[in-house]
Amino acid sequence: MRLEKCWFCSSTVYPGHGIQFVRNDAKIFRFCRSKCHKNFKMKRNPRKVKWTKAYRRVHGKDMTQDSSFEFERKRNRPERYDRNLAENVLKAIPKIDKIRVTRDERHHKNRMKGKKEKLQKEAAKELEQGISLVKAPSALRKDPSLTLPQKIKVSVSQRQSEDNNAMEE
Amino acid sequence: THLNVADNSGARQLMCIRIIGAGNRRYASIGDIVVAVIKEAVPNMSLERSEVIRAVIIRTRKELKRSNGMIIQYDDNAAVVIDQEGNPKGTRIFGAIAQELRQLNFTKIVSLAPE
Repeated sequence: MRLEKCWFCSSTVYPGHGIQFVRNDAKIFRFCRSKCHKNFKMKRNPRKVKWTKAYRRVHGKDMTQDSSFEFERKRNRPERYDRNLAENVLKAIPKIDKIRVTRDERHHKNRMKGKKEKLQKEAAKELEQGISLVKAPSALRKDPSLTLPQKIKVSVSQRQSEDNNAMEE
Repeated sequence: THLNVADNSGARQLMCIRIIGAGNRRYASIGDIVVAVIKEAVPNMSLERSEVIRAVIIRTRKELKRSNGMIIQYDDNAAVVIDQEGNPKGTRIFGAIAQELRQLNFTKIVSLAPE
């Protein structure tokens, strides 16, 4: 019994699931479900279909090179059964999974780095430009504390009170 | 149906007439022997057009279900020309072949097959 990978979406195909398609040049394509099978028949390229692992790898959204992938490489020589070996492998599998998951998360975090600052900058810009939707421009001119604090080096307490004013309005 | 011929016996295309060993069965699948007529043949070989011969089906576009849950589908419908005993008439076979043929005692065909 072997757990295969779906040719289209790269998820594991468990026994009893999916369809295998043998092309006339004897290349075998395994699919995990009819969704992948139908996409294949439509001649879609998995590298361009957003929800597949192939796309994510190509576009750098998922890790491509990692030593934890070496454990899952296909080996064609069957190993002689050794009880100790089997026991160690069974113990190691959840550990390797955990490591891979943490590395994935780190990769994701690295990818998303700088998003918070970007969002804040965009929000500040929007506030500056669109403040007229919230408060009439005449009111702003009369009471300039309602605008965002300018980037001046002021002592902390003063800046904080200005901030509070903007937040309250 | 029209079947491609996957060996070098001289026929190119067969038209299936009847399934052997079945009363009024409608469909044959992989491993069934079929009576067929040759619709198209390679010139100057032993088999000629509109000869009635037997063939065994080796690939179908319809999925083949195995008892372990695996489902296999091929890209075309193909057959191999055999004689009355079940020995293939050609000497080479092209394309992939299913495991089922081994269990049905078509060992010669299986041994000639490349995949």
